[in-house]
Amino acid sequence: MSSPETAPLHDPAAEEERQLVRTWRSPTGFPGWFLPVNQREIGKRFIVTAFGFFIAAGILALLMRVQLAHPRLEFLSPDLYNQFFTMHGVTMMFLFAIPVMEGMAIYLAPLMIGTRDMALPRLNAFGYYVFLLGGLLLYAGFAVGLAPDVGWFAYPPLAGAEYSPTLRADFYATLIAFIEVAALVAAVELVVTIFKQRAPGMSLNRMPLFVWAILVTAFMIVFAMPAVMVASMMLALDRTVGTHFFAASGAGGPVLWQHLFWFFGHPEVYIIFIPALGMVSSIVGTFARRPLFGYTALVLSLIATGFLGFGLWVHHMFTVGLPQLAMSFFTGASLLIAIPSGVQIFCWIATLWMGKPVIRTPLLFVLGFFFIFTLGGLTGVMVASVPFDQQAHDTFFLVAHFHYVLIGGSVFPLMGGLYFWWPKFTGRMMSEKMGVASFALLFIGFNVTFFPMHELGLIGMPRRVYTYVEGMGWDNLNFIATVGAAVLTLGFAVTLINAIWSWFRGREAGPNPWNGDSLEWATASPPPVYNFRHPPVVRGRWPMWENPQPEDRVTGLRPDRREVLITTVLDARPQGIAVLPGPSIWPFLLALAVCVAFGGFMIHPAFFLVGFFAAFAIVVAWHWPGEEERLPPWKERTRE
Amino acid sequence: MNGEPVDVRRLSVYHFGNQGPLYWGILGVLAIESVVFGSLIASYLYMRMGEVQWPPPGTAEPKLLLPTIYTAILLASSIPVYWGDSGIERNDARALRWGMLIGIAMALGFLALKAIEYSDIDYFWNSHAYGSIVWAISGFHALHVLSLVLKTIVIDILAWRGYFNAERRLGVTINGIYWHFVVVVWIPLYFLIYWSPRML
Repeated sequence: MSSPETAPLHDPAAEEERQLVRTWRSPTGFPGWFLPVNQREIGKRFIVTAFGFFIAAGILALLMRVQLAHPRLEFLSPDLYNQFFTMHGVTMMFLFAIPVMEGMAIYLAPLMIGTRDMALPRLNAFGYYVFLLGGLLLYAGFAVGLAPDVGWFAYPPLAGAEYSPTLRADFYATLIAFIEVAALVAAVELVVTIFKQRAPGMSLNRMPLFVWAILVTAFMIVFAMPAVMVASMMLALDRTVGTHFFAASGAGGPVLWQHLFWFFGHPEVYIIFIPALGMVSSIVGTFARRPLFGYTALVLSLIATGFLGFGLWVHHMFTVGLPQLAMSFFTGASLLIAIPSGVQIFCWIATLWMGKPVIRTPLLFVLGFFFIFTLGGLTGVMVASVPFDQQAHDTFFLVAHFHYVLIGGSVFPLMGGLYFWWPKFTGRMMSEKMGVASFALLFIGFNVTFFPMHELGLIGMPRRVYTYVEGMGWDNLNFIATVGAAVLTLGFAVTLINAIWSWFRGREAGPNPWNGDSLEWATASPPPVYNFRHPPVVRGRWPMWENPQPEDRVTGLRPDRREVLITTVLDARPQGIAVLPGPSIWPFLLALAVCVAFGGFMIHPAFFLVGFFAAFAIVVAWHWPGEEERLPPWKERTRE
Repeated sequence: MNGEPVDVRRLSVYHFGNQGPLYWGILGVLAIESVVFGSLIASYLYMRMGEVQWPPPGTAEPKLLLPTIYTAILLASSIPVYWGDSGIERNDARALRWGMLIGIAMALGFLALKAIEYSDIDYFWNSHAYGSIVWAISGFHALHVLSLVLKTIVIDILAWRGYFNAERRLGVTINGIYWHFVVVVWIPLYFLIYWSPRML
């Protein structure tokens, strides 16, 4: 591969590439770290940071399992245990699962739709810094003994000022609201990019299923996240300025918090799960060596899941004492969601059945997903019925159920996706042997850890207790679960080693090592800073399998500034050009100002106003017209 | 497009209109804001449902006169802003400058009358749940109006310096969409706070 830097000067293609690199590259070095806006750079940061938080929360889980290995252990104090399970839940949900899926989406979706960057790239960078600062602040609180200790759903009155007088619950209330800003920003970005920047010819009914999944997820974020922001701001106000939103004596009361929280909290599960479904579709199609069976059914199932996901929240509240009619309705809705999930599973099985499956690590993780997620789905149908739920509520049965759904439904496909797209991220293949070993350890370790918890819950062990006494019949099952957790940890460690090893020693991958069908495989691995020298033109649903011709490409984008092609929403017909901004410090400064507004709020409400006006000043500076924009508007884009 | 690359050299750069990415971006922001206000409205109604007497005993029903006047002012403020927006489409910079200035003055009038109303009220956010939600909704919306004023001052400064014209008016268009949203979203809030205690 000849680097554009060394190619001869008279070659016009090399000259164009050199110019593209100059236009699109990101600054490096120390101050340069705060400037990049390119979508793949931001996506990579999201993924790496999220996995960092994943390791932290995983260590917390392992330590909790050690504490529970035997009755009456005093390895962790009750107070520390409370902080650990809260931080584990908060980190996994808010700092790992959502951001890592966003990172994958930000990295992959623009490549799959054949564009050079996302719409509104500076906003993208802003979202990342919000996520990073929020996460670091939460862990800074942890380090000084101020981690929230009220559970990841922080029910008042426990989370109210009376029963949680220290700053611990404030770290929860204000930082959750703050971190959600990152998710909302990314969601808007993704919707706009997917609607307006698809390659010519990629009409909606030709869009890869992963991109469909991301689109549905982004819409869900837009309609679900604001509820938890409102709720957590109300909680913060209750705690700092003495409002009565969730006071047990007041008109709202703790149940209002539960409604608002779960109106977000249930869609949240699908926000984590639907991108994983998209990854499964990418992997199944590629390794079955045939187009996916039932494309339309798969798309409609994703959309149906997106809608139904909003009608389930009360099934988290069956023990609250709500009207019977409401509970029956939500039972029905909860059972209903099994239908689109089932349709998808059958489509994938049909694809594998009719294809010639090649078993590689990514497909192994998908097969593991089928097994674990189906079990989680079955226990889901069980707890959807009110009488069973009232028995199993707040026991280890629930812990088993949601780990089967979240790890099986989301982390297994994510691991598969990591192995699948790793060559695209790094240009190198991960070791297949280590991949298989990692899968085996994870699959066995997972089931050994969480399967006994079903039984533990059924025989009465409640969740969130730091220890238990002998003679309850819980000893052996807890010990087995702890052993399983060790195996599970080993499985993740093998993948981590595999990643580091392959980074330096892995086999060179080439543009399309798996013979995948979508456009991310049309460019080099890793892609150049401008993604595509000539953005592709698409003629079907599986562009890489449909004999792409050299003339299926877009020409005429200027290499000397960051131009992307804008196409129509439905049919992706070329419509115009957008000129994107380059590296900028303002996103970081804005994130810092918003961080002062939210983080400072827990100390004094006045910080909110300081942050508000600082943010306003930064937004003005950000948008203040630069030199180039002062020139007369472009009538003709090309200088001929 | 058979056998030929798609040549986009002649396509123009979009700075405005409903085809550009920013237009869809602002729709996304409005969707998010609508859910935020929707959550606040739902919370208010949920609290109202749980009480026999609303507002609670000892608190008077909200007075109507002042709020109705400032609501009318806010609704009317969309007219000069619209006049300014459509002015710059015809390259009429004068309409833009004065339209924005009148809009800012009306929004400030809204905020001033609201401040008078709330300085004369006999409960606070920490008095009871009713006080919490009413202050939260009013305060949150007033913060939006304040940010409208600040944003539009910046737009107007640029307008007086002759920055905008018919082809370069993206900032004006986006600002206008957001202005009308903040005005329209006040209508349900007005009925919720001032009329629903009388009627529900």
